Order: sequence, then C-alpha cells, then structure tokens
Amino acid sequence: MTRSLILSRRHLVAGAALTTLAMPSIVRAQAKDPIKLGTAMPLTGSQAGYGADFITGMRMAAKDVNDAGGIAGRPVEILALDTQADPQLGINAVNRFIGVEKLPMFFIAWSAVVKAVAPVANREKILAINTGANAPEIAHLGDYVYTAFPLADVDISKLARYTVNTLAKKRAAVLYINNDTGIDAAKIYRENFTAAGGQVVAFEAYDPKATEFTGMLLKTRAANPDMVHVHGLLTDVPQVIAQMRQLGMTQRVSTYSVAYNPKIIEQLGAAAEGLIVTSLAPGVEENPLVAPFIERWKKEIGRAPNGLPYIQYQYDMVLLAKAMYEYLDKAGKPATGESLIEALNTVKEFALPMTGKLVIDGHRVDKTVYLLTVEKGKFVPLTTLT
Amino acid sequence: MYDPVILAQIFWTGVATSAPHVLMTLGFALTLKVTGLWNFAQAGFMAIAFYTMFFALNGLDLPIFIAVLLAIGTTVVASLATEVYGLQVLRERQSGNLTFFIFTLILSQFIMYVITLIFGTEPQTLFKSILSPVQIIGGVAVSDWDLLGVGLMVMGMVALWLFMAFTKEGQFLTAVSDNAKLAELYGISARRSYRVTAVIASLFIVASMYLVGSHGGVVPNSPLELILGAVLGTLLGGIGRVFAAAAASIFLALIQSFSILVLASRWQNLLLYGFLFVAIVVFPRGVRLPKFRFALAGR
Repeated sequence: MTRSLILSRRHLVAGAALTTLAMPSIVRAQAKDPIKLGTAMPLTGSQAGYGADFITGMRMAAKDVNDAGGIAGRPVEILALDTQADPQLGINAVNRFIGVEKLPMFFIAWSAVVKAVAPVANREKILAINTGANAPEIAHLGDYVYTAFPLADVDISKLARYTVNTLAKKRAAVLYINNDTGIDAAKIYRENFTAAGGQVVAFEAYDPKATEFTGMLLKTRAANPDMVHVHGLLTDVPQVIAQMRQLGMTQRVSTYSVAYNPKIIEQLGAAAEGLIVTSLAPGVEENPLVAPFIERWKKEIGRAPNGLPYIQYQYDMVLLAKAMYEYLDKAGKPATGESLIEALNTVKEFALPMTGKLVIDGHRVDKTVYLLTVEKGKFVPLTTLT
Repeated sequence: MYDPVILAQIFWTGVATSAPHVLMTLGFALTLKVTGLWNFAQAGFMAIAFYTMFFALNGLDLPIFIAVLLAIGTTVVASLATEVYGLQVLRERQSGNLTFFIFTLILSQFIMYVITLIFGTEPQTLFKSILSPVQIIGGVAVSDWDLLGVGLMVMGMVALWLFMAFTKEGQFLTAVSDNAKLAELYGISARRSYRVTAVIASLFIVASMYLVGSHGGVVPNSPLELILGAVLGTLLGGIGRVFAAAAASIFLALIQSFSILVLASRWQNLLLYGFLFVAIVVFPRGVRLPKFRFALAGR
C-alpha cells in the first residue's frame, strides 16, 4: 500500500513537471510578477459612461495579451483608479500609482486631468501617456507627458479646412464649452477655418453647467452663419443642437469624436440629420478587426461600447505598453520613466491592431481622420482626411 | 440682437426655462416657511422622482401617466419617511439647526449614491428624444415643452395660493409657520402640517423633475446643482415668502437670459452668484418691493 502510494506520488510529481514544461507560455507568464498598467479614468460621475468603457477596453486587451503569453513572459494587470474627470482626484490617483504602486508609467485622459497631473509626472520622472484627451496644450506639458491620442489640432484643423474647401461653407459659428476641452479646440477651428478662407461670424463659449442656450443661439442666429461647429461634451452637445433646431436654425452642424455615439441620434432624432462627427480610428469598413471587436462587446457586455474610436485607442494602449516593455526586455533595461520614454522614441512606429499605425512625433502623434455624417438615422462614412 | 422678436424670444424662453426652478422653489420655500428647515434632502427626493419615472418609462415601458403616479408615490413615501423617522426624531431630541442641516444634506447624498449604484452615472433623459415640437408665434419659437412648463408653473402657483388662502389645511400651515407652539394651543397639529408640507413639496418636485428630465440629460447628482437655484430664489425672495421666492426664480432666469445682450454666455452663471452675493449683503431678509408684495401666503 505504502509503496504504491510512493510510486503514485512520484508519478504525480513527474507528471506535474512534464505538464509544466508542456504548458503554453501563458502559465509561465502567470507565475511571474505581473506588469501593472495604471490607468486613471472617470469611473463615476457624469463622464463615467466613457471612463468605465475605457477600462473595459483595456481589460479586454490585457486578457488577449495574457492569453497569448503576456508581455515578455509576464502577465499584464490593469490597475484602474477613478478620477471622476476631476483634476484633484486625478492627482490623488497618480500619487497612488507613484507612491503606493511604484509604477513607472500610467495612462490618463480628460484634458483638465492630464494638465493637472502633468507636474506630478514631471517631478517624479514617471511617464504619463494621454489616451483620450485632445487639448493641444498637452503637447507642451513637459518631458514626461506624451500622447498616444491625436490632439485637437489633428482632427479639428482637418475638419475646419474640409468645411471651407470641400463643403464650401464660408461663414462659421463656433460654440464651445468653456473648459479645457472646448477653449483650445475652438481656437484651432477658428484659426484653420479663417486660414482656409472662411470667416468665423460667431465665437461663443458656454458655461459647463449650462442647460439653457437660447440666448447664445439667438446671438448666433443673428450672425447668420452657414455652418455651426459645436465643441462640448456628451451632456451638452445634444441640448445645444436640439435648442438650435427648435429656434429654427437649420444650418449643418459639425462636432468632434465625442458625438460619434448612437445616443446622440436617439436623443435628436431627425434633428441629427447631416451632423458631421470626426473619428480618429478606422471603422468597420476600414479595419476588419473592428466588427468582431464590437460583437465581442455585445457578447460580453451586452451592448456596443460608448465612443467606439476612443475604446479602440484604449485597447491599443495595452499593445503599445507591450511593445515598450518588450523593447526594454531585449535591451536588458529596467522599466523606469526614462527608459520607457526611450522605448517610445526608439521604437517610434507601432503597428496597433485597432487604430492602425501610430507614429510618435515628439509629444504629438499624427493620424488619419475619418469624418462621418448622420444619414437616415445612422452614422455613415463621409470622407477620410489624411 | 435688439430686434423686438429676439427680445421677445429671450423673454419667452427665459420664463419657460424658469418653470422647473420655480416649481422646485415653491416646494423648497414652502418647506422652509412651515418647518423652518433648509431641507436639502429634497435634492435626494428629486433624484428619486426622476429615476422612478425613468425606470417606469424605459425599464418597464409603462405609460407616462403611470410613471408620474409612481414617481409621486415614491417621492411622497420618501419624503414622509424622512419627516416621520428622521426630522421628527431630531425635533423630539431638540437638535440644533446644524444637525438638521447636516442630516438633510447627508440623506440627499446617500440617496444619490444608492441611485448611482443602481442606475449608473450616464446622463439619462425621460424620453428617448429631447426634441419637442415647435410652433412659431409672432416670430417667437414656442415649443410644447415651453407651454407645458409655463402651464405647470402657473397651475402650481395658483393651486398653492388657493390651497393656502382658502383651505383649512392651508391656513393651518400658515399658523404653524407663524408659531408652531401657539398653533398647537389652538388644536392645530404641527406634525400633521409638516407632513402635509412634505406631500405638497413632493408634488412640486415630481412636476419639476418631469420638466428637467424631458428637456435634457440628468445624472444622479444633478439635483444638488438644481436645488441651488431654489436656494437662490428663496434667499432673494425672502425667507418665509413662498411666492416672492418663486417670482425671484423667474427674475433670476430672465436676468440670466437677457444678460446675453451685454455679456458672453460663459458669464451667465457668475452673474447669478453675483446677485446672490449682493442680495445676502444688501438685502439679508430678501428683496422687498415697496408697494406690490408677493408674500400672500405669508399673511
């Protein structure tokens, strides 16, 4: 009895050893310390609809990476903290990444939050990568703040020029939210629209808490524009457009990627017809991986993601981190803010599955801009601006 | 911009958009008048009212009138439960004003956190579309929402005035607001008056949140910002002067609307706080017009 038991143990040990050797790399990856990717996004508050989906997108990518063996044999773990899109909470989150988690890098979004955490990243020499904010100022926030998401000067400048040159609109009104999201983007639109030969006849900011826009819209109506560009958030853009239509303003409206959301069409109905939105990531037509990605969301989450292009970027951020860590692994360097910046600038071109090629150009990136318009209650491709 | 049609449009939209704030203010100022309490728990009741309607319409696919009735039911229950099991207990303990203030504020935050857990934080509207049919009257765009808002506002004010002036229960409220202990000597139950006030305030809250939720997106903590308007109106109108507070809410909305003629729209909210600052410093008991007095209910 005893002998047979010993033999059984031996067999078990031998079997376990053989199994371990034969296991795919995923198992070996799980045995090593995980690579923690810190990401601070609004998980509660009015922006949580996007923020929570950002994290889900990253977690999907982390699962895919781990299933394929992890990063340099180590599993990836997403460490998500809540910012409520509030700069102060953003600083708290980053302090935790640095002080408690000892991370060399973190992902961040929302312009006001990125600006707020930039001094912390620079002071502590930790790499901050913007994954969704588009304030042009982000390019000038310091040595340790990079962006993997195109800033407003990419899509808004191309949109403004397209409006003058192709749509032949010469008189634009620019209505924008009076915060970091709106102010710089509105200036870029005005500069490019004017440079292309158009005239900005109304340039109005509204309070971020405003729900009533009639006065501003009447002022705009009096200026007689032939195009209206609205640069706000998901909470206010539909209300601005709805009140515009109710005041009898029939001008075509453009906005940016925030409004590339089926909810806008649902809320505005026929008033959304002709609305132009930008997208900084290829859609179903341009990238065969996007349709299965949406299907996966529907299967796992029960719905399509909020702000699909943004989510595509979040997915790709994990792949970006993978490429950076693999560079360091080959070079035999530890992951620090400085070495990760070296990885970013040396690899420079990243082939990312969801958003296509990403070229790091200093503290900016350039990407193809996809314009979509609402036609018969659906977003359809309008044009592609390279 | 000084075209009469534009001025008329600004006036009309200003009055129409003041409607939810006026309804909120009526409930808030009446509660303050009768109970002597700055009841910030009403922000929580606003959230309950909105999300009950939202769930009934979008989760259960019920018709709108059922959704409104359900919202009245849940809001009245929440309001009465707070009165009976919270405020009354504090009164019996002879708690200080600060305790009442903190209790109502914490309760509203608690309600909003629970609602956030259940419904999330994405902006929600009562109906899928926020567009309301519009007709042009004399060059002025008048939407169905505007008409409903103004109608509810006028009806609410008239109904409250009639109730306060011509019903026994209304007169009891006035008596309790003047001196609760003296009123009790005359056989008027202060407790009953507080509960009647809670029910009336709930009706105003539901009407107000219906208007807010059919006009734009609401998130669980929106009511805290909305109640600030009611506080401003109450301070400007003068504590205990319910209809003056409602009038002040309309006045504030008009000031905000017309300020677009001279100010960029981003300054509109700052203007509101400027008014509040001046009112508190210069008119600590509210702005009192020399001849025409709104405080009918206060007599």
